[in-house]
Amino acid sequence: MGRKKKKQMKPWCWYCNRDFDDEKILIQHQKAKHFKCHICHKKLYTGPGLAIHCMQVHKETIDSVPNAIPGRTDIELEIYGMEGIPEKDMQERRRTLEQKSQESQKKKSNNQDDSDDDDDDDEAGPSTQQVAAIQPQAGYVTPMTQPGMPPVAGAPGMPPAGYQGMPPMMPGVPPMMHGMPPAMPGMPPAMMPIGGMMPPMMPGMPGIPPGMPPHMAPRPGMPHIAPAPAAGPIPSRPAVPAAQPAVTKPLFPSAAQMGSGVHSNTTGVSSPPADLQSASSQTPFSNMPQAQQNASGATASSSLSTAASSDPPKATFPAYTQPSVSSSSSSSNPSSSTVAKPPATVTSKPATLTTTSATSKLIHPDEDISLEEMKAQLPRYQRLIPRPGQAHAAAPPVAAVGSIIPPQQGLPPQQPGMRHPLHGQYGAPPQGMPGYMPGGMPPYGQGPPMVPPYQGGPPLGMRPPVMSPAGRY
Amino acid sequence: MSLFGTNSSFGTGGTGVFGSTTTDSHNPMKDVEVTSPPDDSISCLAFSPPTMPGNFLIAGSWANDVRCWEVQDNGQTVPKAQQMHTGPVLDVCWSDDGSKVFTASCDKTAKMWDLNSNQAMQIAQHDGPIKAIHWIKAPNYSCVMTGSWDKTLKFWDTRSPNPMMSLQMPERCYCADVVYPMAVVATAERGLIVYQLETQPSEFRRIDSPLKHQHRCVAIFKDKQNKPTGFALGSIEGRVAIHYINPPNPAKDNFTFKCHRSNGTNTTTPQDIYAVNAISFHPVHGTLATVGSDGRFSFWDKDARTKLKTSEQLDQPITACCFNHNGNIFAYASSYDWSKGHEYYNPQKKNYIFLRNAAEELKPRNKK
Repeated sequence: MGRKKKKQMKPWCWYCNRDFDDEKILIQHQKAKHFKCHICHKKLYTGPGLAIHCMQVHKETIDSVPNAIPGRTDIELEIYGMEGIPEKDMQERRRTLEQKSQESQKKKSNNQDDSDDDDDDDEAGPSTQQVAAIQPQAGYVTPMTQPGMPPVAGAPGMPPAGYQGMPPMMPGVPPMMHGMPPAMPGMPPAMMPIGGMMPPMMPGMPGIPPGMPPHMAPRPGMPHIAPAPAAGPIPSRPAVPAAQPAVTKPLFPSAAQMGSGVHSNTTGVSSPPADLQSASSQTPFSNMPQAQQNASGATASSSLSTAASSDPPKATFPAYTQPSVSSSSSSSNPSSSTVAKPPATVTSKPATLTTTSATSKLIHPDEDISLEEMKAQLPRYQRLIPRPGQAHAAAPPVAAVGSIIPPQQGLPPQQPGMRHPLHGQYGAPPQGMPGYMPGGMPPYGQGPPMVPPYQGGPPLGMRPPVMSPAGRY
Repeated sequence: MSLFGTNSSFGTGGTGVFGSTTTDSHNPMKDVEVTSPPDDSISCLAFSPPTMPGNFLIAGSWANDVRCWEVQDNGQTVPKAQQMHTGPVLDVCWSDDGSKVFTASCDKTAKMWDLNSNQAMQIAQHDGPIKAIHWIKAPNYSCVMTGSWDKTLKFWDTRSPNPMMSLQMPERCYCADVVYPMAVVATAERGLIVYQLETQPSEFRRIDSPLKHQHRCVAIFKDKQNKPTGFALGSIEGRVAIHYINPPNPAKDNFTFKCHRSNGTNTTTPQDIYAVNAISFHPVHGTLATVGSDGRFSFWDKDARTKLKTSEQLDQPITACCFNHNGNIFAYASSYDWSKGHEYYNPQKKNYIFLRNAAEELKPRNKK
């Protein structure tokens, strides 16, 4: 053991002091007993998570953790499994445990023949037993924790890839740890380390507790999937581990190790590099579902449950929009044809939907150009630099607009009519302002040659580039 | 900034504040209206830098004009000056000493407006409308950076008609931000490029966009040591991505959040998703404001990853926003941004710029 073990005892619940065999079970217990919303029975992951959920969804405040013993009801303490337990409570617990075991050992030894010798042995006994029990775990902890971050870190993009590329990578390949669960089904002996892994990993993050609380919102998203697969027998949940590493990753933000570990991951797995912003188009997307869950403060709790189910499909449809994930759990992505989707409401409105989901609508015209480009195509804004030989700059572009931009059929016929009132409108404002217009700048460069000093011939002859984006379509 | 509150400095007078007949939702937040707003959509707002005493607000609009107001401590806004382009003005910025204003327009030129003499001269020329303009003040050089729909990013010494440098971009520039020594440009087709400006501007990295939709606005944020460390990128799909340039843990540090959407928890009706039109960071607190086509503004704390406030809905989209140099004033402009296409454009509809006291509402949320 190269590191001080934070957990030398069986998992126990800080809120009600109960003991558990396994941290997964402990977490299930916490979720069901302490972090369950009394209004909608939704299970959250932490006390603060429950508080936020009640506030945001039910507009109710909650100030104590349900079913907690007095003194342990602090709703603001972020405790998850064995993680986040204040040090002094840990020590108290250890002391209590030792006392209890000493008492029980003494009672036992009293029944035995040799008392004195056994006392020493027995006091050491429980601890050695505990240590012995922990050994196998510890053995995995060591390789895990150092590079432990890496698999977690690189996880988001990896899980689907992790499936395929994970042959025999047992203890000797620590970075692959998270990839193991999917490969585990055929390796019963390997089950134990996995099972043993998860718990040690959780508390193994000394740096995390301070870092975690601020990330309240991400929390609920992450642990959601992590305990789920860990709790059940791993082979029986092959689908879940895909999302599992993706979710547990953010729990372990140890920086330096993440970078190195992920790279080592890439050797065995066709996974995206640590720099999630680069290369693979899938990468940013697979990060997004979590990130989206993490960061959207308002929809944290509602998006959680939907996100879990829709995470794997999300990763394979990178082109599809996010909105459907949060707005409903029915990921209605498939209808990707954007332009083909008819506007549900006003038929005369060319501004249709660009989003794919049936449950959300993008309030933005369908064309891929920016709003400013669209607006700039209007003839009223076309009175740019006067082009030689064109009395009205708007005239030729109008015709071009009509031909090039089919979606804007409404425009060309309207343009001639539009111009006139606009003239009047433009005429007014400059006069209204107290004077400052510099001499050489007439408001609208219509006929008068107002070629700015640097203007050369070619730009004048060019059609306004605003036309060219339209020309693409 | 002291009083900004309820003094009746509504310059246009009686526009729906004091019991008008119609329920006027043009100013549901009851913020101070700037007098003599532009007559067409406002594309950009900029407050004067701290090097100048007082607060001066510049707004560029689709009416081809750039207007300047002095914002007084009691909330009064006094129109000071105006300049014109021959095409809609798309972006404005101040020089670091506050003596010049740079304006970029659809007329493919950028101008330098000397406020003291009230003279404007052209300093830049592109082959297409200039969408973004920023002043760069480096220890060894100063220049104006212009990003255009002609897919180039050019750097101009204001004294010369030729650019000091011209960098090719993969696509049209849609938005940019500069905080020395970093510059970020977001382009069409979801392009995202970071430039480093030390010694001379050069492309630093092309980033895969964290967003899946068209980029619309970008704003750089700084770390606790006041160095630019990342940026916020907004798209047309009601989402902002917070992206760090070199985070210790990219997967955890970078995130996106949804904003400017309707029907938060109601899933029976389709959710309307609006574009994020602008993002501004509070100069002191580091919290950010976003404004969207839904006609609302929201304040966010990116470190606590929480929303601080969302406004009531205005009857028009909010197209631009800006903080003053000390973060006491938040300015936002209400005008049509074309998000619903041509049909919803009403040239008769008034455009507004509102000023709000931002000293309290943008304080970061205490992390537990």
